[in-house]
Amino acid sequence: MAELGRAALLVTLGLSGYALVAGGAAAWLGRRRLAESARNALFASFLSTLVAAAVLVAAFVRDDFSFAYVAGHSSRALPLQYKLSAFWGGQEGSLLLWLLVLTGYSALAVWFARKRARDLVVWVTPVLGGIAVGFTWLLVAVSSPFDTAAAPADGAGLNPSLQNPYMVAHPVFLYLGYVGLAVPFAFAMGALLSGRTDERWIVATRRWTLIAWTALGIGQLLGAHWAYVEVGWGGYYAWDPVENAALMPWLAATAFLHSVMIQEKRGMLRVWNVALVSLAFCLSLFGTFLTRSGVVSSIHSFTQSPIGPWFLGFIVVAVVFATVMIWLRLPQLRTTARLESLVSREASFLYNNLLLVALCLTILWGTAWPIVSEAVRGEAVVVGRPYYDFFLRIFGLPLLLLMGIGPLVAWRRASLRGLGRVFAWPAAIAVATGVVLILLGAGSSIPGLIAYTFSAFVLATIALEFARGTAARRALTGEPAVTAFGRLVGRNRRRYGGYVVHASIVLLAIGIAGSSAYDSVVEGRLSRGESLAVGGYTLTYRQLTERDGPNATEIRALLDVRRGDKSLGTISAGKNAYSVEQQVSNEVGIRSDLLTGEDLFVIAEQVDDNGTVFFRVFVKPLVNLIWFAGFVFVLGALITLWPDAREERRLATRYAPAVERADPQTTT
Amino acid sequence: MARTSSPARLVIALSVAAVLAVFLVYTSLAGNARPSVSPSELAGKTGEVSLAGKVVGTPTGDPHGAGMRFVLRDIEGAKKQQVTVLYKGSVPDLFRTGRDVVVTGAQHADGTFVTTPGSMITKCPSKYQAADSNA
Repeated sequence: MAELGRAALLVTLGLSGYALVAGGAAAWLGRRRLAESARNALFASFLSTLVAAAVLVAAFVRDDFSFAYVAGHSSRALPLQYKLSAFWGGQEGSLLLWLLVLTGYSALAVWFARKRARDLVVWVTPVLGGIAVGFTWLLVAVSSPFDTAAAPADGAGLNPSLQNPYMVAHPVFLYLGYVGLAVPFAFAMGALLSGRTDERWIVATRRWTLIAWTALGIGQLLGAHWAYVEVGWGGYYAWDPVENAALMPWLAATAFLHSVMIQEKRGMLRVWNVALVSLAFCLSLFGTFLTRSGVVSSIHSFTQSPIGPWFLGFIVVAVVFATVMIWLRLPQLRTTARLESLVSREASFLYNNLLLVALCLTILWGTAWPIVSEAVRGEAVVVGRPYYDFFLRIFGLPLLLLMGIGPLVAWRRASLRGLGRVFAWPAAIAVATGVVLILLGAGSSIPGLIAYTFSAFVLATIALEFARGTAARRALTGEPAVTAFGRLVGRNRRRYGGYVVHASIVLLAIGIAGSSAYDSVVEGRLSRGESLAVGGYTLTYRQLTERDGPNATEIRALLDVRRGDKSLGTISAGKNAYSVEQQVSNEVGIRSDLLTGEDLFVIAEQVDDNGTVFFRVFVKPLVNLIWFAGFVFVLGALITLWPDAREERRLATRYAPAVERADPQTTT
Repeated sequence: MARTSSPARLVIALSVAAVLAVFLVYTSLAGNARPSVSPSELAGKTGEVSLAGKVVGTPTGDPHGAGMRFVLRDIEGAKKQQVTVLYKGSVPDLFRTGRDVVVTGAQHADGTFVTTPGSMITKCPSKYQAADSNA
């Protein structure tokens, strides 16, 4: 079976190599038939990768421990769903997942764009082929999931912290995000290579960018929720390099999603957009590199890691290629329009972009500095949480404010008097919120107070936008309010979907501010019957139980929860001792108050032989808004992504002449 | 055809300057990085550092009482230097003999490395795939 997997990967290497070489030649020479065969090779490479993936899945399901990778990441006792997710439990399988997602995206994106953007697609094919060649090479020559060895009696098992539903879904979404950024990157490079540097590549990839960006966002929230409920240290984000690895491309992609609107509407910022999409893609490569090369723990383990240097080389190639292409096409990328006023929609998008990129680059600096320092100065350093928190506030809070201002400022040139009218109500609501919060005692954290005030401002502007739009539509059509509201959103999906996404980011900001700036924590060692008080709750330790689960021994401490005189039931926290993997994991107890969004979070840190338990208890206000924001985020993204027949028709007429004159010929 | 009058250029230039200024002020005031050392590099280092090492022997004592004591040695290389660490606070699930951990603190005159409470991080094998776990 392993031979079939290896063969399938070799076929993928051949096909993607053909897509690169033949596709490049076809585009250069203007050979239409050759370009079509290169495109078909790209489609076929998805199928051969699918075969390779199926072989690995089958090996996991059948407990075929002659696959070294299966033996290293699974065991007979592992439940089936975790045998499947063990596919991406290690490096080789993760790379295979990367390749599978890449070839899948490539096939779909090229298929959908083959008619409307044919002249671009001939150049996009070799770029996507080139990326696939790099990854297939790693899988074939450096880090193969199909290496075989004498089969042990049982596998080594899967790391217990990966044995939960989050770790089934989280890596898939992250990779759908990371890899998805390859599509807009390839189209941008295709546009540069073909010399057709108008906004068509943006129109052709808008949905792909949004899908990748949404998936990356969901993946990160799933990871945060996993850290919160499973890792059990009481937080959800620790500025860990691996977490930053996913946040950086997401920030760059967020900037890109905004700035492309300016190019679509006004034809400005062309260089900036290709640079941003290149940055986003290179950061997603860098993210995969960080998580997979061992470079984070030490530069020494990086030099021993087989894929590290290859990956670094790969990133260098991507950066150099993108830079050279942008440089060569600089004259064609010159914009005709220009910024007319510093108070305009364009300008506010520009500020938003600068803030997002600044935040992204400071995080990059913090993440990369330890590596650079160890390599250059020979002295290893650690960049701590205060660094990141500082820059999140410095750049994040103005971004939050801009989210309320930007969408309401007129294109081209806005008058200050008009702005005063538009923002009078939201500003009044924000100030009122701030005053109320100070009276309630929220002044204990200034950044928290600012975040809440800005959040109130943004939510007010969004609510007013929906109300104004609905009212205007009712006045125009005489529809009932609900119909008018539905049609308003349905006819302007990008705009109102965007507002919904903005609302979700505000909810996220409120949740983060609440749980980090206004939380409380108490810890102590309790014997049975003893109590502990925190944030208005009283917890009484009742009993300790021990139970044998399918693959772990579960120890639980049971506590009564009271608030004042009212009993709120019980909560249990403890530890699981995994037998095969010889590891202990914290199982925290969480009681969510869905009305206030507050969590009571109990960790049983240490269970002593005499039955006393050391508890650590957090009260985290509003933390559930973070997870709720995830659902709103998906809703908003779906609204903007939903196929829109009228928009399709509009685009079809707009780019019809382009299709007429489309042919693979190009001038270089 | 540079158009120096474009406000976009001005905005970008001013923003870049502002960001750089904030960055420089912050790094010079707060100091953005702690040195990270191994047990064999610890000698002579004063002030707060991150100490990364491999746990050897059996940890003793109560991390939530008087403190837990354990011994760290270099993760890589043949160096024999060992450091006794006094640790208080949360102990991560992955902590045990043979694992690689990072703690923050400073070395006292008696040679004991006294940590900032709760500063222990284990190098998580699921996230960072180091060379030796590639088998």
